Amino acid sequence: MRLWSELTLPKLIIWKKMQANFLNTNQIMRQVIYALVLGVGAQIYFFGLSVLIQILLGCITAVAAEAIFLRLRGQTIKPSISDGSAVLTAILLAISIPSIAPWWVIVLGVLFAIIFGKQIFGGLGNNPFNPAMLGYAFLLISYPLQMTQWPSEFISITHASETIFGLSSIDGLTGATKLDYVKTQLMMGASIKEIGSISVSQLWINIGFLVGGIYLLFRRVILWQIPISLLSGVVAMSSILFLMDSNHYASSIFHLLSGATMLAAFFIATDPVSASTTPLGRIIYGFLIGILIVIIRVYGGYPDAVAFAVLLLNITVPLIDFYTQPKVLGK
Amino acid sequence: MPNSNFKGGLKIENPYPSNEIDLIRIPLPDKVVLPMQQRIGNQAIPCVSIGEHVLTGQIIATIDDDRCAPVHASISGTVTAIGNHVYAHQSGLKGLCVTIESDGKDEWVDTSIGCTENYKACLPLTIYDKIRISGIVGMGGAGFPTHTKMRLAAGCKNIIINATECEPGITCDAALMQAYPTKVIRGVEVLLHIIGAEKAIIAIEDDKQDSINELNKYCNNERIEIKVIPTKYTSGAEKILIKTLLGIQVPSGKFASDVGILCLNVATVVAMFDAVVENRPLISRAVTLAGSAIKEPKNFQVRLGATYDYLLSFVDLEEGSHKVTMAGLMMGINLKGTDYSVSKNTNCIFIDKAQESVVAQECIRCGMCNTVCPVELLPQQLYWFSKSENIEKAMDYNLLDCIECGCCSYVCPSNIPLVDYYQFSKALYKKQTQEKAQIEKARERFEFREMRLERNKSERAALMEAKKIALKEKMAKDRSQKEKIDAALERVNAAKIDNMEEDAS
Repeated sequence: MRLWSELTLPKLIIWKKMQANFLNTNQIMRQVIYALVLGVGAQIYFFGLSVLIQILLGCITAVAAEAIFLRLRGQTIKPSISDGSAVLTAILLAISIPSIAPWWVIVLGVLFAIIFGKQIFGGLGNNPFNPAMLGYAFLLISYPLQMTQWPSEFISITHASETIFGLSSIDGLTGATKLDYVKTQLMMGASIKEIGSISVSQLWINIGFLVGGIYLLFRRVILWQIPISLLSGVVAMSSILFLMDSNHYASSIFHLLSGATMLAAFFIATDPVSASTTPLGRIIYGFLIGILIVIIRVYGGYPDAVAFAVLLLNITVPLIDFYTQPKVLGK
Repeated sequence: MPNSNFKGGLKIENPYPSNEIDLIRIPLPDKVVLPMQQRIGNQAIPCVSIGEHVLTGQIIATIDDDRCAPVHASISGTVTAIGNHVYAHQSGLKGLCVTIESDGKDEWVDTSIGCTENYKACLPLTIYDKIRISGIVGMGGAGFPTHTKMRLAAGCKNIIINATECEPGITCDAALMQAYPTKVIRGVEVLLHIIGAEKAIIAIEDDKQDSINELNKYCNNERIEIKVIPTKYTSGAEKILIKTLLGIQVPSGKFASDVGILCLNVATVVAMFDAVVENRPLISRAVTLAGSAIKEPKNFQVRLGATYDYLLSFVDLEEGSHKVTMAGLMMGINLKGTDYSVSKNTNCIFIDKAQESVVAQECIRCGMCNTVCPVELLPQQLYWFSKSENIEKAMDYNLLDCIECGCCSYVCPSNIPLVDYYQFSKALYKKQTQEKAQIEKARERFEFREMRLERNKSERAALMEAKKIALKEKMAKDRSQKEKIDAALERVNAAKIDNMEEDAS
């Protein structure tokens, strides 16, 4: 019997992997980061450059935490750091939290995501939960106030950085997201017509992520099953509610283009490590996340539902995978 | 319904394109080294001795085993060595080889046994025997003895001739078909006669247009169909080819013959035709020589046992450090150096410039491997369980159905050598089942021993009991006798006393 160290790839494969158009894991991570540019750009346009401060803080924390933990685990640091997965986790978390949240929020969130979301399970590829969403859930439960104060208008970089680092506060300029506002208003008995429609910033941010996601689909970085089924799940569940009572439930369009729906569909639920891997399993996984997003948004106590929906479905992945194995030739 | 397609698979362009495909005959080698082991089955036992003069086509080794075929001298000359030599196998194991030095005459032994030239007048059994003593084995790579395969497939309805040659870079079958199209067609006719099948399909990929044209030119038998299928890697894997052509799925764990199909490689058919009709045992084959270190890929018709170095002297080889691959870039094996010889299943030798190797990263479960697996397994799950040596779970995910085609390793963005893990797991499974069987056997033996001891004990006890009873009976008998004696003595004594009393009175 041969030893692991003697394992070798057949030569053609090595030869092929030298070709430029063949994506390896590092390139896949990088492609995902590139695809985020439009959505992040929209965020910057509406909320200001403070988004970049959050991203920067997150990335530095992520790389440092990853390096320290790799060292503690006795692994080589450089190849694992350079795969880009830690940076991607940090960016996803940084763009999910309010852009003017205090600096320690993103730092704690990223630390939690990298350490408890990823490294204690054995690093990249072994984590059962989506690390970014685990970090987000941790922050939302621990610091609900900081996590729900979104800037209600464009804030200059100097003003924002003063807020992030605790030098001043901008009370008058913050507020809940549209999603949160709609929910509160609906609970107070207002009808959808009075509350108004999708906010412009949310609309454009979601469109930005949608375009980035379509780019990833064309590059075959992600497969179609999860995004399509997730969006179908959102549409299906919200349509049922909307058809039941159009006065008290928002329309499908509202759910599709509000909150983090597009980010979830193309960038978060598609995290391959924690998602289902069978073709049918991916469809079930995405669809159920979509349904859960709407249910938690409508009936839950939190403003957005992506993190909880994704984490809940992460738990079911081994079960889904087991029961959706494709039919093997000759069986 | 046959749909000429299958799920998964890969379109791979030929890494070593050449302008023309031609089969080149090269001069006789000075020396041949003939391996006795042929893939599976036992090692053939040499029936010649050192110093003996042998003729071309003479049987030099044989064994009574269905999974092994006899070996013939591929040149005439003197046997100079019978000893261990490194086999062209990844393990680097040594095995028995017979070395023959050529006398340059290529004198043939009379091989016209069984007069099968007029095969239509022959019984199938006679032809099987002819194929057996001609040493024909599967020449696509498996090296399974053809006579055994044909015997297992007796009564098959369909014959499939695998001329797909889907492994990228190999062109020896295409060269053979262009050189001997009539042999292919007539070989299939011989097969149809022996097996009694209704029809035969020659499957060929659509990138071999010249071979298709040649075969079409000479095929005028309506029982033979030349079927052109799309060029896609793993189309030539037996089970997948059967599904593509006939829409039949060979059940898991079964063989093509179980569903009434005989599947043979095109080179095997040509070898069989040579053996049956032309009385030529298997002593030569077509080999592709290519690679990034070779200027122009070439196909050689070469005597078996010729050394790699001898073959390489006929191509322009670039200087530098090389990597040697045998049997294909996707499924073949890497060899250390060129100190090997051509065996019956050597279809190609690739010499590449040494490349930097790639480092495997963690699996990110991206699922690309799912999409290319031609048997629709979940490669990344199998990898996960293989890595943790959880064989039972790997079996749940149908590990044994993996055909080791390498498509998953090819697309893996983390450069994981997936197939190696599966081979490891399969070996482990085999070992575990063997151990289990041994334990079972040992347990049975132990239980039988216990049972035997118990039986002996009870038998002995019964014997003792019987003896005891016998003794008691004897004693009882003895006692009654003693009593009689005592009574008699008493009587005697009494009589004596009486007598004495009488005397006294």
